[in-house]
Amino acid sequence: MTTTVSATGLTLRYGGTRALDDVSLQLTRGVTGLLGPNGAGKTTLLRVLATVLPPDRGEFTVLGHDPGTAGGRRSARRTIGYLPQSPGFHPDFTAFEFVDYVAILKELTDRGARHREVRRVLEEVGLGEVRGRRMKRLSGGMRQRVALAAALAGDPGFLVLDEPTVGLDPEQRMRFRELVARRGEGRTVLLSTHQTEDVAMLCHRVVVLAEGRVRFEGTPAELTARAAGRVWRSTERDPGARAGWRTGTGDFRNVGHPPEGADLLEPTLEDGYLLVLDASRAEVTAP
Amino acid sequence: MTWHVTEEDLRAYARGELTAPLLWSADTHLMTCADCREALTRTSDPQTLDAGWERLDAELDAPRPALFERLLLRLGVADHTARLLTATPVLRRSWVSSVALLLMMTVVMVRTADSPVLFLGLAPLMPLAGVALSYGPVLDPTYEMTVVAPLAGFRLLMIRTVAVLTAGLALNGLATLALPGYGLLALAWLLPALALTAVGLALAARLGPLAGPLLVGGAWIGTLLVAQARESGTLAPFTPAGQSAAAAVTVLAAFLLYRARDRFDARPAGGLANGPGR
Repeated sequence: MTTTVSATGLTLRYGGTRALDDVSLQLTRGVTGLLGPNGAGKTTLLRVLATVLPPDRGEFTVLGHDPGTAGGRRSARRTIGYLPQSPGFHPDFTAFEFVDYVAILKELTDRGARHREVRRVLEEVGLGEVRGRRMKRLSGGMRQRVALAAALAGDPGFLVLDEPTVGLDPEQRMRFRELVARRGEGRTVLLSTHQTEDVAMLCHRVVVLAEGRVRFEGTPAELTARAAGRVWRSTERDPGARAGWRTGTGDFRNVGHPPEGADLLEPTLEDGYLLVLDASRAEVTAP
Repeated sequence: MTWHVTEEDLRAYARGELTAPLLWSADTHLMTCADCREALTRTSDPQTLDAGWERLDAELDAPRPALFERLLLRLGVADHTARLLTATPVLRRSWVSSVALLLMMTVVMVRTADSPVLFLGLAPLMPLAGVALSYGPVLDPTYEMTVVAPLAGFRLLMIRTVAVLTAGLALNGLATLALPGYGLLALAWLLPALALTAVGLALAARLGPLAGPLLVGGAWIGTLLVAQARESGTLAPFTPAGQSAAAAVTVLAAFLLYRARDRFDARPAGGLANGPGR
């Protein structure tokens, strides 16, 4: 697979801490998930890759363009669709007007072509029917989809989505996954999320970030495999487990280092994720 | 219905050659007038007609241009530029505040009619305030969403600056008409206004969208106070020497602003709402 977005040594300091600490990664076409606890630096990384913030150190390219130069930045921005974590709105805009406004800023200056594009992306996020409604009359989930439509306008080759599934109900989330999966074909999509489920169902690659560093980069299957032989069943909570909880069946499900002869269970992506975080925490606290 | 689209316009419409605002009048009319729709069918071949229907369909959702936007279009401003200028509440607000300031100043002026000093001192601040209020993350809720769009940043700033300056200078000019007794002196605000705006923007590239203009505004008021303490006649900035200095500062600041243009694109002005990142 050819690399579409490539970053080396990205470092960004903020308020005395390193929000990003020597982050290097390669993205290819398809959907990549960015997982990490709060404060891990996910939003900062997305902002840097979307060219919102320049890094203090390190470099990256987006579809062959170097955002470190003025010309390269403009070329890169022509290929980027960005959905921030909390996109703001002008409350009196209609959904159509909002997307139209963003589309103008994306240099879609031909009126007819732009209006067709605005309709297309609003249809794509399932909001064709309410395009004339004002933003303040739309629900939170609908507004999120309008913002997504604005990010999709102009058919960007690199889509950066910061926690796009927050505030969506399960059905909306499912529709959203369908949409992103469709978009991921032939394009590069990077999305941050707290939902390991999103990653398991949607992403062909996953990056785990903690304390501003990349702790894992690979396929979801590889992340799941990190927990192979590390998940077991017991009738009491195992004191040696990193995490353990009673499941619906009454048994305990434990993640960590199983005792000899333990009743091993099939791991999930979430188990792998917990263990990667656990290992990174141990590294941080080690003397 | 007393008005109908002329046959000539219908043919142009079918070919997609009719331009706004005539195009919108035709669109709106065709939606409700069966006669004209039939006439349109007669004047055009099926293929161009399909394209026409598609355009009409898209037109139904299009934002209806308000009075001011229509005015800009009639003045020859490109459709997308007019939209950018009028669609942003931030910008409207900056104009509203400009007008409010102007009215306030006029009242003050009338009350202190024996001297134009207060007007000359305040007038240059108005375009500066308008420009400062017209951009930046503090006042634009969609800032982070749009900051990475290729037209955002310096290009958008310039579009808005030219618009706010034009409006501000026109309003100031109108107010100047109320001071006929002072001759050319009443226009002495113009060059300081351009200088303050240019310096404010050049500093904004380094200090952020609020600190830059605030600093310049403060420096201007300070200069006036010092000048007033020293002289009893015309204040230094409004003498020929002061005007030349203002012109020189304008040119220099414009040059520096152009040199620093990439700063407006490279990094969010004044930081983002919730810090550089979490």
